[in-house]
Amino acid sequence: MRDYYKGYLFILPAFLLLLIILGFPAVAAFLQSFNLMWVATPSFTLGSYKALASDPEFLTSLMNTVIFVTVVVSSHLVIGLGVALLLNMDLRFKWLWRVVAILPWTMPDVIGGLVWRFMFDTLPGIVNSVLLRTGISAEPIDWLGNPTLAFLSVMLAESWRGYAYPMLILLAGLQAIPRQQYEAAELDGCSAWQKFIYVTLPNLKHMIIIALVLDVIWESRLFGMVYSMTGGGPGYSTQILTLLSYKQYFQFFNVSYGASMAVVLATVLFFISLPYLRMSMRQQL
Amino acid sequence: MLDKLIRCAASTVATATVAGMLASAPVPAKAGDVTVTYADWQLAQDIWGRSLREAMAEFEKQNPGIKVTTDPTALSHRDVKFTTAIRGGAGPDVFALDVNPVKQYITNGWVKDLTPFIEAEGGEAFLKDFYPNTLQPVSEDGKFYGIPKNVVAMVLIYNEAMFRDAGIDKAPETWAEYREAAKKLTKATKSGGPVDQWGATLVLAKACFDLRFSVVLRGFGGDFLNADWDESRLGEPAAKEAFDFVTDMILEDKTMPPGIAQVDCNGARRLLANGKVAMIFGTMWTLPEVNGMNPDLKAWDVLKMAHVPQKTVDDKSIRSTLYQKTLFMNPNTKNPEAAWKLIKFLSEPKQMQRWFDDNNMLSARRSVNETYDPITSSPFAATVTKEIERAAFLPLIPKWPEMLEAFRQNLQSAVAKQKSPEEALADAHKQYQAILARP
Repeated sequence: MRDYYKGYLFILPAFLLLLIILGFPAVAAFLQSFNLMWVATPSFTLGSYKALASDPEFLTSLMNTVIFVTVVVSSHLVIGLGVALLLNMDLRFKWLWRVVAILPWTMPDVIGGLVWRFMFDTLPGIVNSVLLRTGISAEPIDWLGNPTLAFLSVMLAESWRGYAYPMLILLAGLQAIPRQQYEAAELDGCSAWQKFIYVTLPNLKHMIIIALVLDVIWESRLFGMVYSMTGGGPGYSTQILTLLSYKQYFQFFNVSYGASMAVVLATVLFFISLPYLRMSMRQQL
Repeated sequence: MLDKLIRCAASTVATATVAGMLASAPVPAKAGDVTVTYADWQLAQDIWGRSLREAMAEFEKQNPGIKVTTDPTALSHRDVKFTTAIRGGAGPDVFALDVNPVKQYITNGWVKDLTPFIEAEGGEAFLKDFYPNTLQPVSEDGKFYGIPKNVVAMVLIYNEAMFRDAGIDKAPETWAEYREAAKKLTKATKSGGPVDQWGATLVLAKACFDLRFSVVLRGFGGDFLNADWDESRLGEPAAKEAFDFVTDMILEDKTMPPGIAQVDCNGARRLLANGKVAMIFGTMWTLPEVNGMNPDLKAWDVLKMAHVPQKTVDDKSIRSTLYQKTLFMNPNTKNPEAAWKLIKFLSEPKQMQRWFDDNNMLSARRSVNETYDPITSSPFAATVTKEIERAAFLPLIPKWPEMLEAFRQNLQSAVAKQKSPEEALADAHKQYQAILARP
């Protein structure tokens, strides 16, 4: 057998495993969205997709998802870049600061959500306790019962939990920038700000795009943090698309409708990931 | 001497550890043994879990050759886990459900038809001890899919000591009295401090919302759906009265604690246990739960039960909601005979008595509730048993979980002032009509 084919043979088990684990659920969700799988009488229909277009709850959840992802990913990039720049400096105990910076990301999102929920709890929560004791607030604030505050609280919690992921990508990018470029800039009399604008940012461009695309995908699929913190409430105010899809599929047993939401989300995310795919394919070529 | 002591202590600890490991290790099934899996969210709870595991040990003793593996499944993940597993041809052999999702399980074929097993036990003679209304959720087209285990009705639970302190001498019988009592009970316990005691709380979070809000709606003479469960009743004046009553108590009277959107049944019980509220809606399980949360309260002495308030005292209509726990068999079970033996065992009168002794739960069997001394002599059981006659199940239709959530989200929107109460109720009514109109 030629070596060329042997290579394919070696990757076959991993390929089959991936096909089963990732491919089957994707195909199953796709078929279910057209009412073709796991129903008493399978029959092709576009009914679920038509219903989505006129469902106000779906549109509200879609809008919530767009706002949530925009705010959270922006904050991740800003905080992540700031922390990456700090960790890239010659600090004492650098390893310790790196461990501390990455800690929030090691926390499962459901646990993170529960911790923040307890912190924001109206009566026994630590946030209100501090505000009341210091006299900043005269009465407890209903953080998770007020629609605006609840949405802000969830976004704050996820900004804290998830910033480390883009931070790691950007830190890797920072470490790959040749020192000579900074030395040349210094010889030209550049200030620290000018070095950041004209050396750091252009060199980080690709890493920023990778971090942006991957974080958008990650945050669009987020479920545990919001589910455990607010459950989508109060009312529909923090309900994002993944929560609605979950509810329709597993709580209301509207399998086709829930699957159609997942397919729409996956399609949107596929188009968002195109710049990343193109970039990584270009690098391989 | 010290060396000897350390060695002795170390060997004692090692022996105890090994003995503990041996004692807690599951006994391996012998060749020819049958293993059945039992899944129940209450296995994860302290008192219930112990009680159920003791029952399983007794079952194994009585049925040599059958081993039971217990599967504590969190209530929040129960349906996700069961339905996914059953659709995939797996899942626990026997499992427990409350009534909310039962019709979906039956419609989708996720539970086994138990009619042949029941007929083999004597058919009607086997079923006659169960309250007739407990069989309603588990039957479809003359077939029986489950065996009822426990049934209770929701009642008002109040702290008598707090009532006395506020100068209230009896439980409220009408909603007007309930609201007045809540106002008197809401206060700052420290002079000059913020309000830290409230009259009552409802449950507005997802977990347990169904059983609590429904009693207010029914107590006002309204309901979610008509008797045939095919038309919304949320457009009726009684629904508006109940909806306004709750939103007014929260937003205007402020007699319910802030942050009520996050209060679930455990949260409500904790508020009662810590003396933060004086009234909640609950039932038999509330007392042991509250007692476990704060033994200093002396829940068994201080807490009292009363029927659900009504609009007028002489109203004789349905005012409460029934809760039922039922046992089902997985259609994929490889051991239906052993699974049936387990279902029969868990629902026999002797075990029903255990559920009352350990968990204060009433039986779905009339004979147990009417003849077992600890039940007949309990004032709490007397109140709840009486309330069963004035209680009904929530709609037993596959679309119900979706309708319930639509209502809850609209009520939360009204409490969060995203919508006016009129708008929120009208939206819920519209959503009900749309869901019911769907095939």
